[in-house]
Amino acid sequence: MASATRPATVRERVADSDRSVGRLLLVAAGALFWGWLVVSWVNRWLGGVLVPVGQPLVPAGAVEATLAAIPGLAAYASDAAFVVELTPELARGTWLTVVITAVSLAVGFVLAVPLAVARVYGRFSAWVSLGYTELLRGTPLLAQLFVLYYGLNLASYVPGALSGVFARDVVWVAILGFTLNGAAYQAEYIRGALESVEEGQITAGRAIGLSKLETIYYVVLPQGLRYAIPSWTNEFVYLIKYSSLAGFITVPELYYRADQIASETFRYTLIFVVTGVTYLALVLTASKLMERVEDRVAIPGIGSGSEE
Amino acid sequence: MSDDEFLRVSDVSKWYGEEKVLEEVSFEMDRGDVTVLIGPSGSGKSTMLRCVNRLAEAQEGSILLDGEEVLSPDLDVDELRREVGMVFQGFNLFAHLTAVGNVALGPRRVLGLSETAARERAEAQLERVGLGEQFDSYPAELSGGQQQRVGIARALAMEPKLMLFDEPTSALDPELIGEVLEVMHGLVDEGMTMLVVTHEMSFAREVADEIVFLDDGRVVERGPPEQLFDHPEEERTGRFLERIASHD
Ligand SMILES: Nc1ncnc2c1ncn2[C@@H]1O[C@H](COP(=O)(O)OP(=O)(O)OP(=O)(O)O)[C@@H](O)[C@H]1O
Ligand SMILES: [Mg+2]
Repeated sequence: MASATRPATVRERVADSDRSVGRLLLVAAGALFWGWLVVSWVNRWLGGVLVPVGQPLVPAGAVEATLAAIPGLAAYASDAAFVVELTPELARGTWLTVVITAVSLAVGFVLAVPLAVARVYGRFSAWVSLGYTELLRGTPLLAQLFVLYYGLNLASYVPGALSGVFARDVVWVAILGFTLNGAAYQAEYIRGALESVEEGQITAGRAIGLSKLETIYYVVLPQGLRYAIPSWTNEFVYLIKYSSLAGFITVPELYYRADQIASETFRYTLIFVVTGVTYLALVLTASKLMERVEDRVAIPGIGSGSEE
Repeated sequence: MSDDEFLRVSDVSKWYGEEKVLEEVSFEMDRGDVTVLIGPSGSGKSTMLRCVNRLAEAQEGSILLDGEEVLSPDLDVDELRREVGMVFQGFNLFAHLTAVGNVALGPRRVLGLSETAARERAEAQLERVGLGEQFDSYPAELSGGQQQRVGIARALAMEPKLMLFDEPTSALDPELIGEVLEVMHGLVDEGMTMLVVTHEMSFAREVADEIVFLDDGRVVERGPPEQLFDHPEEERTGRFLERIASHD
């Protein structure tokens, strides 16, 4: 912050402009990525208003012809056309990846807060919470998904209201699995953050007549949840990537679709590079989003806001 | 026992595990009195204060506040704390709330005032402690002296009938102590009943009706400041006062 008070050196200005060019590129790439996704989804939901369902937004043939005409890029023309052909499937898979991640994360959070509070402030409930988090963090996520899907056959018990929301009910099983598992991890991060709120503030809350729960709600959580944002962002990023495990219980999310196409076409490298880039774009979006959230809720003296 | 008796602490004993930290402590205060607790570190001063608003639980004895038994198991502890304000050595401000937010929280959530009424009350209390300019500052943006004044305003906003101060100036740089003592002086002038733990002997001498000297969990000696400071009867009191004086 100190640099704001003196004129920037030339080097700083160059660095700043480099940074802003880089930033512009990132924003442009992000806009292109999300634009492609959203238009693809909308096109599919509306039954192919722009292009027939299953067709890329830009004709692969046109891309190939354009690139072939540019010297130096001609060699990549057919690969590019192949990737363009893939995009409708990728967009479909990404939809499920995004939905599974977002819903599991949100519901997991709602479970994680009371779990963390119970762990820090409860007596009996602290043990229940501890047991839950250790069980879910201590066993493989894939095994948990298998238990829910193969073991308990939950896909056939999806309640009527939820059934049919997705083309396949197994998506709900994946969401349940990631929610239960993510809640345990989120609870652990939030617990750590709650513990970093000074004891004295709790005493002060009690001293003005707030009950223990009120003190937790009005004093501890608003601070603890702010402290938790950075580690919570990690969980967000992990979940985006771990959501690919849903493919193992036949949820046709991004990884699953990529794997299927790869095994049909044998173009593993190209397909998984493109898939990897898609995950990367989701992850970058998530961390940028959380950076924004962190800035928005920053309070002087709390969390990252306390460093000058 | 005077007609106006307001707080009567009788034979209060408290253990932490095996350790007896208060041993049959007794003193009483009239309405509007200022009593100052002094004593070496670990003598049980904070514990005594905390027993009065039940932040700590005394195991034996009786504490009558305005005729009500504080130590009764049936007592509504939150109700008690509404009526007894407390100011802490470390300020203990709510770090995520502005000065107004800190002061308004109790009136809003405990007394159930509306958002606007709570804010108005908070602003009035902050004006009272001389912080009319700092309504929207966060604790991290305030000096120690200002933070402690917010702490006092926070307690006052509940309109308590008794104020407990636990070394309110001990964490402050010397140049900031004055502003806090000034606010406390103001409260004394308004007739607030105050039970104060402090090492500020000149303040104690000026405002206290009675000084209670605690050592090792016991009341060694108590009396008006002139008597206790100038003619202590107990040798231990004298030694403690000498030690304090040589520190100043
Ligand atoms: N929560 C607690 N658990 C166990 N022991 C405690 C606790 N609080 C205080 N004690 C012990 O009780 C005794 C009295 O402590 P207290 O804090 O009341 O002393 P004090 O007179 O306020 O000291 P100081 O001047 O250092 O603040 C000390 O021996 C202390 O170690
Ligand atoms: Mg103390």
